Amino acid sequence: MTLLEFARGPAIHWALIILVAGTIWRLLGVLVLTRGGDLSRPRDAFGNYKGYRTVFSRAWPSSEFNVATRYQTIVAYLFHFATLIVVVGITAHIEFIQSLTGASWPALPNAAGVAIGIVALVSLLALILRRLTNPSIYCSNLGDYITWILVAAPLITGLMAFAHLGPRYETMLAIHILTVALMFIWFPFSKLMHSIWFVFSRAQSGLTYAHKGVQI
Amino acid sequence: MSTSAAVAPIFPTFEQVCQGFAGQIGMLRQLAPEPTLTDAVRVERAIDTLIAETNAGEAVWLESCIHCGQCTTACHFFQATGEAKYAPMRKMELYRRIYQREVGPFRWWYKLITRPVKLKDLEELQELVYDSCSECGRCTMVCPMGIDTASLVHHLRSALVAAELVPAELAALTAEQKHRGTIFGASADTLMNMINTIRDHYGVTIPLDKPSAEVMVLSSAVDLVANGNGLLATARIMNHLGVDWTMCSDGFESANFGLLSGDMALWRQQSESITTAAQRIGAKTLVIAECGHAYPALRWNPMIKGGSLPFDMVYMSEFLGRMAKAGRLNLTPIDGKITYHDPCKTGRRGGAFDQPRAVLQAMNADYVELPSGREYNWCCGGGAGIFLLERATRLRDESFKIKIKQVNATGAATVVVSCASCRLNFEAGRVKNHWDKEVASLVELVADHLIDTPARTPAATSSQPGVTA
Ligand code: SF4
Ligand code: SF4
Repeated sequence: MTLLEFARGPAIHWALIILVAGTIWRLLGVLVLTRGGDLSRPRDAFGNYKGYRTVFSRAWPSSEFNVATRYQTIVAYLFHFATLIVVVGITAHIEFIQSLTGASWPALPNAAGVAIGIVALVSLLALILRRLTNPSIYCSNLGDYITWILVAAPLITGLMAFAHLGPRYETMLAIHILTVALMFIWFPFSKLMHSIWFVFSRAQSGLTYAHKGVQI
Repeated sequence: MSTSAAVAPIFPTFEQVCQGFAGQIGMLRQLAPEPTLTDAVRVERAIDTLIAETNAGEAVWLESCIHCGQCTTACHFFQATGEAKYAPMRKMELYRRIYQREVGPFRWWYKLITRPVKLKDLEELQELVYDSCSECGRCTMVCPMGIDTASLVHHLRSALVAAELVPAELAALTAEQKHRGTIFGASADTLMNMINTIRDHYGVTIPLDKPSAEVMVLSSAVDLVANGNGLLATARIMNHLGVDWTMCSDGFESANFGLLSGDMALWRQQSESITTAAQRIGAKTLVIAECGHAYPALRWNPMIKGGSLPFDMVYMSEFLGRMAKAGRLNLTPIDGKITYHDPCKTGRRGGAFDQPRAVLQAMNADYVELPSGREYNWCCGGGAGIFLLERATRLRDESFKIKIKQVNATGAATVVVSCASCRLNFEAGRVKNHWDKEVASLVELVADHLIDTPARTPAATSSQPGVTA
């Protein structure tokens, strides 16, 4: 078995299994904690449902916090969108997804893929730079740095493979896939889970405040 | 038409009230109970408390923090000091560790890789969850995950109650309320004396222990032991409105040190004594005095089945707002530019925004909203019992400077508050900083602007049921 075969085969498959099983385990482990709720009378009998709006409204900070949050918000959005586009827009990724699910769609031109990949990487660098230079604002821990490395690695190796930099293409591609596998494995145990938690967390606060008639 | 102009005032000014309290608070530190349990038991009880109080909501909040730092500058304590340890997300770090080790889905793993919690950790936590978090909720307004740090801090306070680690001043008052049912000695006798003084001197009647009444009104220790003007104002307004009201000697105290310290048992006991009295007299409305945290203690008490209670619980500002909207408050216009400070507990964490504004509107006030107003309002820095903590003086003073700037930006001459604890903190800050603003309480402002106080006209007095004290 070549390195590439290992990466494309057992490595990524097991990583996906851990990703899915770990995520379900962590989600269930939290949701089973649901116990009795708040017994006090809500401000409006059906007002609590308005709390779900927070899931969407919190996608952008209120103008009240514009200055303080501008950098983080804009750069984080650049990173998330650029990464998402690269993940689902590049020929090689579409082929991989097709091999798993059968679904397929037209790919981005290569140049666009590279450009967007670079945007993702640069914004990720911009995020870590700010984190490193403002320790009191971020309260970073080891998990934050491991997560950063494990997210940056697939981006860097992917761009290198795409540009035929570094070792032989097959080796580079294998390394790229292995870094993705590592990230998948890390996902359920790390803050990467925020991509799922955000819905629950915003909803929980939205409901708590809506109960009192406050829109947050 | 201030009626107090007609009778020589006998109660102290609020500035004097504030000075008097400073002395009383100093004495509390000597009264604080000493820890009685062993270190190991205290840690265990703290952990058990958190395990018991961790619901899926808390777990989701603890799970979802990404250390993005957005919340830091939203917190007045961080903003005022720039000190990393006061950043909101740090206040929940220990909770997260305990959650991960004891409750979370990967607890076996976290038990291996994290340190067990020691009493020292809990001792260090004290400053973070008492001195430097007023549970104001402002950080929740910016957090991209919507994490409600204030709620998490509240659970941590409960854990510290279990670990006998409540700061001295709060511990002393909690013990007093628990064992003697009073705060600063404000007993049913104190209430009766105050009622008699108000009747004898001002001719204003306060019904006490009527067997039934439409409206049950609460007071608070600040008003009973020091600021008589607060209760006097309340009585004037109730009599002006001509409502069928009473106070109850077995349920008159708004303040709830169970909520402030995190002692859930006291919280429940104190709230239930009031709801029981309200049910007994068949009240339709329970009016909570201007005592910010009493609003969550009663109205939003998660342990009290509000839906099945036969009465409404409203905060004083809400009650006044209702009456103003219904056109029942007959008020003279107010001079000068005015702004209003929403107490965290009735504003962002209570939802009573429009009512106090309606009252000021009823006085034709030249009203100007605070910048960063309403749900974005800055805490005054004294909430959640922090006003009482001597150790937190610097934190309070520094964060009050944010408040000064915020109010100054409006150009208002008067800032109206509707919470005794905000008011004490504002008053202390005003004196310390030689601030040229006037700080007014909503209820006293309304009483001072009542036209034709019925209590002072014989016809109206006789329509009032007599004082039964
Ligand atoms: S609730 Fe208020 S005081 Fe507490 S951390 Fe958040 S902003 Fe700061
Ligand atoms: S804003 Fe929310 S997610 Fe970001 S660090 Fe603060 S608490 Fe954590």
